[in-house]
Amino acid sequence: MTVRVALIGNPNVGKSVIFNNLVPGARQHVGNWPGKTVEKKTGKYRYNGEEYELVDLPGCYSLTARAVDELVSRTYILEEKPDVVVNIVDASNVERNLYLTLLLMELEANIVVALNQMDVAKSKGYTIRTEKLASRLGIPVVETIATQKVGMEMLKKAIENAAKSPKPAFLTYPSDIEDLIEKLVTILSVDASLVTHHPARWLAIKLIERDKEVLEMIQGTALDSKIEEVFA
Amino acid sequence: MKRVKAVLGDDPEIAFAEKRYNMIGEILEECLTKTETGMTFSDKLDKVLLNKYLGIPIFLILVWALFQFSIEASGVFMAIIETALVTVGEFFGTLLAGNEMAASLVQDGIFGGFAFILPFLAPIFLMFLGIAWLEDSGYFARAAFVMDKLLRKLGVHGKTFIPMMLGFGCNIPAIMACRSIEGEKDRMISILSNPYISCGARLPVYVLFAAAFFPGFEGSVIFSMYILGLAVAIFTAWLLRKTFFKGEPEPFIMELPIYRVPTLRASVLHMWERGVVFLKKAGTWLFLGAIILWFMSAFGPAGYLGIDPDVSVSYTGILGGLIQPIFAPLGFDWRLGAALIFAFLAKEIAVESLGIIFAIEGDIAIGGALAGVFSPATAAAFMIFILLYIPCVAAVGTIKSETNSWKWTLFSVVYSIIIAYVIAAIAFALLSAIGLGVIGGA
Repeated sequence: MTVRVALIGNPNVGKSVIFNNLVPGARQHVGNWPGKTVEKKTGKYRYNGEEYELVDLPGCYSLTARAVDELVSRTYILEEKPDVVVNIVDASNVERNLYLTLLLMELEANIVVALNQMDVAKSKGYTIRTEKLASRLGIPVVETIATQKVGMEMLKKAIENAAKSPKPAFLTYPSDIEDLIEKLVTILSVDASLVTHHPARWLAIKLIERDKEVLEMIQGTALDSKIEEVFA
Repeated sequence: MKRVKAVLGDDPEIAFAEKRYNMIGEILEECLTKTETGMTFSDKLDKVLLNKYLGIPIFLILVWALFQFSIEASGVFMAIIETALVTVGEFFGTLLAGNEMAASLVQDGIFGGFAFILPFLAPIFLMFLGIAWLEDSGYFARAAFVMDKLLRKLGVHGKTFIPMMLGFGCNIPAIMACRSIEGEKDRMISILSNPYISCGARLPVYVLFAAAFFPGFEGSVIFSMYILGLAVAIFTAWLLRKTFFKGEPEPFIMELPIYRVPTLRASVLHMWERGVVFLKKAGTWLFLGAIILWFMSAFGPAGYLGIDPDVSVSYTGILGGLIQPIFAPLGFDWRLGAALIFAFLAKEIAVESLGIIFAIEGDIAIGGALAGVFSPATAAAFMIFILLYIPCVAAVGTIKSETNSWKWTLFSVVYSIIIAYVIAAIAFALLSAIGLGVIGGA
């Protein structure tokens, strides 16, 4: 069976380079400017006898319903449910890049983080304790320098491990927010079809954020009025 | 019961984002240490390249250097390809010496037209190499940043400039790249202003005409064509903003990538990716086109025209004659008229068709032949017309699919012809006024 892997990350973090490194014979045009990957591209590679299908999603900073490319990525992860989501994080810009990581964790995806551009981070004077970061996030983190093909074997290994023993990410918020999430999850759980298709906690978070798409999902259902009570 | 408002305030989305950043901050406190390293090389370079006053001049110098490089460095490659083709052509010539018509098809059609265009692939490839290098180095994104100030004054989104830079290669991927522009109005403006950016396919026309009419100034003449294309693109964007797509451009936020020294391998690969499109086009359409063009030029309603005939009575001649009166004020004859009609399929066909017409007429040295028929002012007007009028048929198709509107596609076609004619006429008048309107004078 083919393992389906999605590549996602902020614009210009080296997604296309990693894609080309992983997929033999792939010569995806790599540009040093953000917004290069307009459409999702796919490719295949084999590792330890297993076939992997890689999907390169458009680069994005967040996963709101407002921008087309963000919605494309989010819908892909929610509906296609890839076996593994590889989140490429620019090590020289971790603060901003981890924002997307948290959003992916909210989606309860089976994530592997590739901490890329380690060389640039080092030249900027950054020291990152990768193991610590992995344990704090609760997801595997692999250091890479895609332009020099460093860490590609480790990345493939990490993807293999993640595919063999999937572990949906879980993100706990401070208790005041957790209370709200919990309340909304209880209400949402009544609608079985809704929560089997989407992670209930994610729906709750998006409702709190007044996400357009999720609000539309709820509109007109029996849950509507109960949910409004939590807001009021 | 606690409500959302009590916990997150009036704008829960922003408050939630803050919570996330707080969590990231906490995580990184444990996982990240920063040592001050002072200004990085990238920062220092940006101080100069993004300087308020130096930014645009530096951009122009870099673009000028790009064209100078592709013209100068390609000379030797062009000569090698030409010599090789002449040798092969002579071989076929002796082989077919007995059959007049077959010899004309091979020598005038295939070698005069199709093979004539092949050396021009050298400057195209070298220009692509230069563009790839600029792009991979990280300068591309800066160019958009530098131009944003100017463009914003004109109400045009700075990001529009990225598809414009891509247009130097080919307008088709450039128009598709407009998808990454947020805001429907900004995207439409970007699509409709892109075709005026001079793509690689126009380059053979410039190289041929600049060498024939402006020897010694080829690089500068070609550079000015690119700048003119850029100016018309920006003017068009401004015009569209003032008329059909009123409003303010969306805010321009783009991350500047760090500078990298592009690897030769990556740049060559990159050049190859873009250039191979031209090779494929040459191997299929241009080859087929040469055969059709030869038939149209060697035959007329009266049948086969014979050796070194008057091509103006051929089908090509008749076709060119149809639109020639419109262009007569610019000094175009039926040959240039026909070239314009055929070049709608692909702009480099203008060179191919002129090569075939002159070859059938018995002129082998087309550069000299051109200079004997047209004035430098006419040559400049023709280059400008080729630059600005309807992009090739494939680009028109892309405009249709990306705007999803026949109305805007038709607008683009009609507008481009009008603006091409007006600017070509102005250039013709100006150059004639300084004495370049005389055939044989330069």
